[in-house]
Amino acid sequence: MPTDLTELDPQQAWAPYTPDAQRPWNIRRAAHLYRRAAFGADYATLTAAVDAGPATVIDALFTASEPAGDGANQRGDGSDAVAAFDRQMESLSSAMMGTGDPRALSASWLYRMVNTPAPLLERVTLCWHDHFATSAAKVTKSRLMLDHLDLLRSHALGAFEPFVQAISRDPAMLIWLDSTVNRRVSPNENYAREVMELFCLGVGHYTEDDIKQVARAFTGWEVHRDRFTFNKFQHDTRDKTFLGHTGDYDGDDAIRIILAQPAASRHIARKLARAFVCDEPELPDTLIQPLADQLRDNGFVIAPVVRRILSSSLFFSEHAIGRKVRSPVTLGVGMLRAFDATTNMNQLAAAVDTLGQLPLFPPSVKGWDGGRTWINSSTLLGRANLARAFGLGGQVKFNAGSLAATAAKHGVTKPADAVNWMLDLIVPLDPPADVRDQLVAIASGPGDENQRLGKTLQAIGTLPEFNLA
Amino acid sequence: MTPTRRDFLKTSVGSTALVSLASSVPLFMRDAAALAAPSKGDNVLVVIQMSGGNDGLNTVVPYADDAYARNRNTLRLSPNGVHKIDDYIGLHPSLDNLFKLLDANQLAILQGVGYPNPNRSHFESMDIWQTARVDMTEANAGLGGRRTGWIGRYLDTTAAAGLDVPALHIGGGRQPLALAGEQARAASVQSMDAFKLDTGGDTSLRQSIERIAAVPRGNANPGEAGDDLLGFLQRSTVGALASSQRVHDALARYDNRAAYPGTALAQQLRTVAQLIDAGMGTRVYYLELGGFDTHANQAPQQAGLLRELGDAIGAFMADLTARGHADRTLLMTFSEFGRRVKENASQGTDHGVAAPMFLAGGRVTPGLVGKHPSLTDLTDGDLIHHTDFRRVYATILRDWLGAKPAPVLLGEYEPVVFLR
Repeated sequence: MPTDLTELDPQQAWAPYTPDAQRPWNIRRAAHLYRRAAFGADYATLTAAVDAGPATVIDALFTASEPAGDGANQRGDGSDAVAAFDRQMESLSSAMMGTGDPRALSASWLYRMVNTPAPLLERVTLCWHDHFATSAAKVTKSRLMLDHLDLLRSHALGAFEPFVQAISRDPAMLIWLDSTVNRRVSPNENYAREVMELFCLGVGHYTEDDIKQVARAFTGWEVHRDRFTFNKFQHDTRDKTFLGHTGDYDGDDAIRIILAQPAASRHIARKLARAFVCDEPELPDTLIQPLADQLRDNGFVIAPVVRRILSSSLFFSEHAIGRKVRSPVTLGVGMLRAFDATTNMNQLAAAVDTLGQLPLFPPSVKGWDGGRTWINSSTLLGRANLARAFGLGGQVKFNAGSLAATAAKHGVTKPADAVNWMLDLIVPLDPPADVRDQLVAIASGPGDENQRLGKTLQAIGTLPEFNLA
Repeated sequence: MTPTRRDFLKTSVGSTALVSLASSVPLFMRDAAALAAPSKGDNVLVVIQMSGGNDGLNTVVPYADDAYARNRNTLRLSPNGVHKIDDYIGLHPSLDNLFKLLDANQLAILQGVGYPNPNRSHFESMDIWQTARVDMTEANAGLGGRRTGWIGRYLDTTAAAGLDVPALHIGGGRQPLALAGEQARAASVQSMDAFKLDTGGDTSLRQSIERIAAVPRGNANPGEAGDDLLGFLQRSTVGALASSQRVHDALARYDNRAAYPGTALAQQLRTVAQLIDAGMGTRVYYLELGGFDTHANQAPQQAGLLRELGDAIGAFMADLTARGHADRTLLMTFSEFGRRVKENASQGTDHGVAAPMFLAGGRVTPGLVGKHPSLTDLTDGDLIHHTDFRRVYATILRDWLGAKPAPVLLGEYEPVVFLR
């Protein structure tokens, strides 16, 4: 594969990955797949994945996360852990809601990310939370935020048009965007602007006049007593003209017309590619177009495009591995999943908040900027200190009993093996050889096994490579 | 003693973390130093947001005005209690430490600050002050609407955006919209601990971590084709470890010659003073003091809050003066609105409009700036502002931060004279 992305042949880039001598299917590539698609996985899962092969692993991730077919409101193979987990989450969320503190919902969502048997679904839901970024800081009502999150999850892998239609009626979203009132005589332009600028098209693909006209299409779409209502007396029934179309359109018509713009499929394709492939550089349009075409030609359904990305030759190349900055949530959740551990989720919420990303509390309607903006001195030191707390703080419960017992369970006893094992689990790129030697020296230092491994984990958590994903 | 940029380079080159780099990658070295460099010369702005709508009339008090006494049946402050600035205006009795700053030529009091067609919703008016976008027509007119704040946009327009931590929000809760830029990102921390690498006192582990971070990898050469993510992360990690070391050293030599009260605000201001003294390149610090929404039983609540405010600012200025940073520090207070002239039936006051702002620092023009708004010429029972807050921002941007105000504020605003 060429080193310059612009020289990449798009068909070749998105063609399925087939392992070869240069790009073997091994623990590191399996860990890459799980890290990006499923927040990470423990060593046993990764070993099994290496045996099963990439196609089987990707199939399993999607099977657990997609509807069971025939429109049933159930995911996975129907029987199973997924449904049971969903029921467990329902009662957990209700309990959290009882506290009246929306921050408790962040903790319960983190719990779901750590424990779900359908991690791909949760990972994609987190992407959409970043896309349709709505904050409990303003919505404040836990019930509305929980409904909002359920909405994101239920549409996460489905068709995008009904998704946008549903989000346009979502009380949390409309409260967040000051759009609970939208009167014929003074159309509220907030939602019309964001639906084009952020949700569907991107800047430069509409005019200020389009915003005014689309705002008229959404008149009468209001929220009363925390419920969406269509107030037909406030709906403007005259013709609207935008994006080259004229008619007595309502909000759903507007969404249909907006999504038919070529810019829409490109906007969403680029969003998904950035989420799963790399932060930098910006992928060239030629690479985005095949994904956009796939969206447009298949009813704008999300799952097949995500599957194509995660199965692709590009995804398993050096252009993708270690080419994203690890976000606070994927870092925190990923560490727990990788070491088969759990912790107090309120503490995890506080920790990821300190690092700059509390789920359900995005900083603005643009979501989190991600990439390099995750990084500054205080967040880097926070990440290093979190890695220390993980191994040595006593707050993390390892299912095997301890960090040392977790290592032993996988046959890891020697310091050099322990370093390789941790790097395999949580670091996407190999550090320089002399760094590895220094890590082995730390792993061979004084103290008991848990002390040594805990210190090694902190040193690994401070590697520049660790903060990539 | 504050380390200068040259001192930093000297000590860094001698330190274990960076020694291996000095010979191999000079550009990287220079950049890592610049990223985390102490910058003695740069002015610092400290903003204290008084959330809830502080009652300006009982803060900067027109104690001699008959209309004041008439409108404030139960809440009026006795002329004997206020700290008299002149024969008409005095400061609330709790503000004795701010009053002392007047004597020290370190306090300016801007009167009658507000904006046209005032909004009395906490949320809206706070957004207006933080974004400097007064009406939604204007807010909708591009440049991010109310998505970016005035400080964030300032950072976007200057090289400060490239600093490690160009602006810092200290305290819990969400980061204020004021700090959001299109590119620039501020950090939020609870305390100094956020700038300390915790190794449990294990020096050998700390040294290993520093050595490991210093091993070159990636392309950390920001000048040419641009650094890659790995190079960026290495540079940032070296910078973070250097920050940690500097903060650690600064704390070690910090002898607490200024006593700070135990309040949250005072402790946060102490953190700011320590970070300024440690030579952090941060240009703007942002703090909040909440609880000013005094609809009922106002007197004791406001007295407590103003006590917290005045004592904290007094300790902060004394500390900065002793350390030689007073002349490069400007502290500004604001609240989203003042309160109505007439008190309500619950010994409280309701949401109003114009209010005073405090500006403290070694280079303010001391004393009252502007007239107190008339207590008889009112609009709907509210004071009429004479100074748009954006004029205050324009002054700070132009004369303190050295930035062009117009691109930040989306318009020209005549500066106010309060800096010398």
